[in-house]
Amino acid sequence: MMRRLYLSSTVLFWLLVTVFWAGGLWLPPAAESVAVAADKPYSTTELAKHATAENCWMAIRGSVYDLSAFLPDHPSRPEIVLPWCGKEATEAYNTKTKGRPHSPYADELLVKYRIGKFAADKP
Amino acid sequence: MSVVRIVSIPLLLLLGVLGPIYWAFPTGLPVARTSGIVFGWAGCGLLLSSLLLMLREARLANWLGGLERMYRWHHWAGMAAYVLLLAHPLLLAANALPNDRELAWQTLSPFSQGRPVWLGWLSLLTLMIGLATTFDRRISYGRWRWLHISLGIGVVLGLLHLLLLGIDEPVLPLLGLAILFLGWRILREDRGWAAHPYIVQHVNPVAQNMVEVSLRPLGDGLAVRPGQFILVAFLDGPAFRGCGEFHPFTVSGSAVKDEIRLGIKALGDCTRHLQSIEPGTMARVDGAFGGFLSEQDAVPQLWVAGGIGITPFLAFLRAGNLRQPTTLVYLYRSEADAAFVTELEQLATANPKLSLRAQATGDRLPDLNTLLPDRASLAGHDCYLCGPPAMVSGLRTALTRLGVKPSHIHLENFEFR
Repeated sequence: MMRRLYLSSTVLFWLLVTVFWAGGLWLPPAAESVAVAADKPYSTTELAKHATAENCWMAIRGSVYDLSAFLPDHPSRPEIVLPWCGKEATEAYNTKTKGRPHSPYADELLVKYRIGKFAADKP
Repeated sequence: MSVVRIVSIPLLLLLGVLGPIYWAFPTGLPVARTSGIVFGWAGCGLLLSSLLLMLREARLANWLGGLERMYRWHHWAGMAAYVLLLAHPLLLAANALPNDRELAWQTLSPFSQGRPVWLGWLSLLTLMIGLATTFDRRISYGRWRWLHISLGIGVVLGLLHLLLLGIDEPVLPLLGLAILFLGWRILREDRGWAAHPYIVQHVNPVAQNMVEVSLRPLGDGLAVRPGQFILVAFLDGPAFRGCGEFHPFTVSGSAVKDEIRLGIKALGDCTRHLQSIEPGTMARVDGAFGGFLSEQDAVPQLWVAGGIGITPFLAFLRAGNLRQPTTLVYLYRSEADAAFVTELEQLATANPKLSLRAQATGDRLPDLNTLLPDRASLAGHDCYLCGPPAMVSGLRTALTRLGVKPSHIHLENFEFR
């Protein structure tokens, strides 16, 4: 009984992994989902207005991202991420856990939330 | 078994699952992602609980209703955890469906992810391979045991996966517990740190491929009741070299000065080697476990023993505790395998409450209908069975057919895998 459960769940798992792989490989989304947005410049003052969990912007590596929709999906505890809302967070992004940067996957995910570029010197 | 003991393990598992889910339950997320997170934590809680259930501590086993019960739940909790943990990454990836199939694959794929996800995959693969070896009956017990314990590494890797995700608050104590349970099991039990030192006092050949060994404690002796079993690792003697592995043996007697007697039949490599054991061999003993024959009602008894399965009944009779009219059916292959039969006949002659039917059966399972008392004579009996799994299973079916309720059938059918 236990052996049968092990075999069937393992086979089903690999089958579904293959489906996910094939789905990502052969059926890419029709339109490029990346927001090509916007080279609109945002100043430090403007950025600082969006410093809550519901309205959270961050400046990372010269771009500004609206992460309000993504925050609930972030794996870490809110206390780790929320203090960076409304701020320039490149350093925090690059030294996530024990000084390691975020993964290439996170970089890719981030692009989707880009709303403009960061203009630190803009009034 | 008391109600507390019956509910103890389900309650423990429920706490193990609900505790982490309560802490980590996400709000405001889509169903697939919420389920993915909940399944991950539930699997984590079940794995940790199953680690606790693999500990062989006599007191813990007593609270939780016996070692055999703990092992049965250990297997189920581990298996349920495995299925939940397989679903965990799939559900997280499914969150991106159906709009963004590429993102769904990237969420799942270790190639587009950082170290936390690699570790998650490594943990899952370790569990997958470890479980595959668990189901392989051809592997010797010694190797199987180490492969099975290596599943614990999968648990630790899974917890490290959570730590790298930045979730350290409940994970650090959970990791501490996992390491404590694994270390406890490996050092105290497998390495024998908690075991008591004994020395082999006498060795008597009692049948073909079977010896009875008497063990004397070198310090405080264990409290052992008839019907219980102990774990013994035989070490070295004057000329004998023991295999050093802990094996379960049901005691065949325990009396004078804390001495323990064990019947050892050559069933595997180690027990075959033990047929040539000699007095003076050192041993480490852990236990005692089990409660077979310990909670008898004041009703007539039917005991059926197959081969080496005679030992718990023999221990009970030797202790002189027989209070109820009892029929002992003792089955063995051939006369050369009829261990202790002369002593049993003497015990039956001396005690009018005991009636003995000893019979050689040959290599096949005998016709149980002719061996067992008829339906009318079995009414109101409690039945205790101990022997090879095929025989015990056949007897259960036959007894049920003869109208004996399952609650009146008690088994000693312990297996460590």
